[in-house]
Formats: sequence, structure tokens, C-alpha cells
Amino acid sequence: MLALDLFVNGLIFGLFYALMAVGLAMIFGVLKVVNFAHGEFYMIGAYTYVLCAMKLGLSPWLALPMAAIAGAALGALVERLLMRPLYAGYGSWNIMKDEYAVVVTFGLSLLLINLVDKVVGPYPYRGPPLIETSRFALGPVMMNGQKLIAAGISVALLVGLALFIKRSLWGRQIQAVAQNRLGASLAGIDATRTTALIFAISGLLAALSGALLAPLINPSPDVGAFPAIKSYVIVVLGGMGSIWGAMMAAVLLGVLESFFAVYVSYDYRDAFGLLILILVLIFRPQGLIGEKGREV
Amino acid sequence: MSDARNLWANRLRTDFRAALVVVALLATVPLFVSSPYTLGILIVSIYFALIALGWNLLAGFTGQFSLAPAAFAMLGAYTTALLDYHLKAPLAIGIPAAIVGTALLGFLLGRIVLRLKGPYLALTTLSFAEIARVIVYNSHNFTRGDQGLNVPSLMQSRIGYYYLFLGVLLMALAGLYRLMRGKAGRFWLAIRDDETGAESRGIPVVRYKTFAFALSCAICGLAGSLYGTFSQLVSPELGLLLQTGLVIAMVVIGGMGTLTGPVVGALLVYLTSEWLREFGGIQLIVFSLAVIVFARFFRAGLWGIATRR
Repeated sequence: MLALDLFVNGLIFGLFYALMAVGLAMIFGVLKVVNFAHGEFYMIGAYTYVLCAMKLGLSPWLALPMAAIAGAALGALVERLLMRPLYAGYGSWNIMKDEYAVVVTFGLSLLLINLVDKVVGPYPYRGPPLIETSRFALGPVMMNGQKLIAAGISVALLVGLALFIKRSLWGRQIQAVAQNRLGASLAGIDATRTTALIFAISGLLAALSGALLAPLINPSPDVGAFPAIKSYVIVVLGGMGSIWGAMMAAVLLGVLESFFAVYVSYDYRDAFGLLILILVLIFRPQGLIGEKGREV
Repeated sequence: MSDARNLWANRLRTDFRAALVVVALLATVPLFVSSPYTLGILIVSIYFALIALGWNLLAGFTGQFSLAPAAFAMLGAYTTALLDYHLKAPLAIGIPAAIVGTALLGFLLGRIVLRLKGPYLALTTLSFAEIARVIVYNSHNFTRGDQGLNVPSLMQSRIGYYYLFLGVLLMALAGLYRLMRGKAGRFWLAIRDDETGAESRGIPVVRYKTFAFALSCAICGLAGSLYGTFSQLVSPELGLLLQTGLVIAMVVIGGMGTLTGPVVGALLVYLTSEWLREFGGIQLIVFSLAVIVFARFFRAGLWGIATRR
């Protein structure tokens, strides 16, 4: 059945999108800036995975955590070096804050793409899959082992993140800083450390998303542009800054796109998401998911 | 109050004179350089200088951080190319049509994004730019997709082209100076610094914001259209986000919110990148690093460093 096949595939891609987009949403939630280098976190994750597995000969199951570490380190580094002026004391910067964030993250995106292009080479690499299987039928749906495992890991990560944010001390600190940075500081929360944590988590998730998809997409230096644009759409659709909104919007977009590509137009499937973005920003800036969009 | 006013007028005059000196220096270049290759590189850098000026009008003067300048250059180039390809319209119609067409589109975009600020505006203009590029890229029957379109040339002479681009740059600079010195400039700066405040003092924010959008996009469209006739080939690559990234790098390095900054930034970045190309494609690494360092530590750009007291 084509429709069911499309639905399941869209759902799975929605999960990968969600891994990317929640990080972006968390960053927007605390700093009210869009990280235009988010796709490059994904790219770095994919490359770390592929290079660790192929050049260092690590098992793919070890290469995966390496990608996570690389993404988290990159996220923390970006926060420390580039984002901290946005909130730590530089009072006079307020007036051009948004512009600074766009310029710096845009520049960072170009820098990382070209650095990888120069150091590793412009050719696409294909990563080894986590398990070797051929395509098999899962009920009525054709499935491939890597996709299924990657989807499973994504679900585990998303549930883990949700629990972490809701239940753990650090997660509650993240919620507090997103709601009110000053108030959180007054209550004794180290807002600076929390922001660094958010960037690290965001980098980690994006990098893992890249690593999980590496066997399916053949990473090349500019591979991040595509998922980054998806995440912008999702973050807008889910209400800028809302983690739960982003998760739901990601799955929604994955399914919608997979149907659009088959039933309407394959060539314009990317333009479709962007059109949604523009329409939502103009007519419903709080996002589709609802008024609770401001929560985290 | 009149002191502050004079201060701004003085700064702007110094700025404009410096830009004129740059243009005058450029005008003497063909006396020393006759290689068509070098002239070609200079022409392309003036093309970027025009787009940088157009983008700076929006981002630097009006505070509207658009991510679509390269898309408008592409749209301008395609307006001229499509008029020639489908209707055999002469360039005398094709080039003005590119200006009018991109100005109208810019006006529309300005209307659409009127209420959006900061990251929301950046995302919307980015989406607009990408949609425009995807449409041009995929409409094989209408635009021939990534094969690109051939455009007739305005003239054979490289030197002629060089002075044409330089003349257009001079006109753009003079026009912007005139606008910035007058009411429009004051209004734009007021909108940039405090939109609500500007509105409350009776400045027609809507009108001047859309005006800035239309004018900025028309400058980019004109630049793209002329570039198309110069290179005699237009392709969707003109509208890549990478090109927008280059333009932002030029303006940030040169100095946002000035007239000289974008011009000097464009010349510097493009000429250096041609030079760095010999060292094996590190030019984009250097510039993206430079743009981060400038945005982080030298927010006023080279112009700010040069005029610091």
C-alpha cells in the first residue's frame, strides 16, 4: 500500500527532523536567536561518524557516541566563543543583538562547510550502517535495517530528552532560564552554565541526527543545508522556542512532505516547507501548536 | 539638537567623499591595467559592491536584516534574460524591466514582512530567497533550469563595461547619499534605532520601510541584470545563499551603515578572494573567519576602525 508506506517513511523522517529541530528550538527558547549554523552541527556529526568508522576503524556503535561528543563540544564552544556576548553583560549590544547572531552564525556555517571541504575533501562519503541487512517487509511496509534502528534510537533520544527536561534538575533549570533569565538567576540558577548546556545538547542531538543518517545520505560538506532549512520550518511551525511543538511539527512535516513529494510535485517538495514557514510567520506567528508556544 | 544633526551630516559627508575617492581611484585603473582578465575581476567586484550597497540600505540603514539580496540579483538577471529568450525584447527594455520588476517584488516582500523583526524577518526572507531559487531551478520549460540562459551583450569592450559598472556605482552612491542626507535617510535611521519610537513621533514607518525594501531590491536587480549581460549567461547559482553570505561578509568587514564600507568591503573581499584562489581555495575559510572576528570584535568594520578617534 503506497499511502501506508509514505506515512511510515514520513514518520521516520519526521523523527530525524525532530532530533535536529528540538535543539534549534531550545536555543531560540533561551536566546531568541536562530542558529544558522545548525545544519553544520549535523554535518560535523555525520563526518565524525563516517571518519571514525572508516579511517580509525572504530565499530559504528562506537563511532556514534564519538559523533555525539563532537557535536556537544562544538555546541559548547560556539556558545562560549560567539554567543556569550549576547547575554553576559554586554549591555550596549542589545540594539543590534539579532543582527549579530545572524551574521555570526551565518559566518560560522560558511566557515565549517569550507573547512571540512578543504580538510576532508568535497566528495561525498558513505558511512557504514549500524547493522547489515537488506530491505525487508515489515507488515505491508518495505523497511531497511539502518532506517529502523536509527528511528528507534531517535525515539529513545527524544523520550530521554523529554524526561530530562521535565524531571531532572538541569532540565528544570533549562525551563526556568527559558522562561525568565533574570528570574532564574535571582533564584540561584547559573544561567550562563545552563545556556552552555543547551548549546551542548543542541549540538549533540544535531550531530547524532547526522550520524544516524550518514549511511543513508552520503555526507558531503554542504549536506547540512537541507536539514537546517527543515528545522527552521519546524521551529516556526511548532511555535518558535517550544520543544514539544517542535517535536510534533517535525513529525507532521515529515508526513506532509512525503505525501506532497509523491502526489503533488517532487521537485518542489523543499519549496513547500518554506512556503509553510512564510505563511505561518505571517498569519500565525505563535505556531500551529497553540498558545503554549512560549513554554521553553 | 542642531549639533547632533550636524554631527550626522558631517559624518555622512566624510563618508560620501571617501566613497568618491574610491570611485575616482577605480576610474584610473584602466590607465595602468589593460588585461581583460583583471578588468573582468574588477567588474565582478563592482557588481558585488552594488549588491552590498543595496543590502546595506536595508540592513545597515533601515535595520531590516534581509537574507535575500542574492535572490534579487538573480531575479533581476532572469528578468532581462527571460524577456530576451521568450519575447526577443532588446536590452533597452530588458534592463529597465529588471529594475521595475525587482522593485515591485521588493515592495511586495516589504509589505509581507512588515510586522516581522530580527530572526523572524531573517527566516522569512531566507525562505523567499530559497523558494525563488528552487522555482527558477526547477522550471525547466520556462527558465531552462540549471542550464542557465544566454543573454546578449551590451558591448564588446571590457573597458566600456568597466566604466558602465563604475558609472552605475557612482550613481547609486550619489543617489543614496542624497536620500540619506534628506528626510528619507533620517526616517530610515529612526526606524532602525527604534521602530516604535519612530512611529510614535509620526514617521510613516510602513511607507518608508517598504520604500527601503523596493529600492534595495531594485539596486540588487539592476546589478544582477547588468552582470547577466556582462557574463552573457545567467544561472540559478546567482541566487545561492552562499552569495548572500559573501555580500554580508563584504558589508560587515567594510562597515555596516556606511556608504564607503560596502564598496571597500566588496572590492577587498572579492579581489583578495581571486588572489587567494591561487593558494588552493582557502578564500571562503578566510572570509568566514574574518566576518566572525569583525562581527565579534570590530563591529563598525574597517570604516569604523579608520574613523575611530
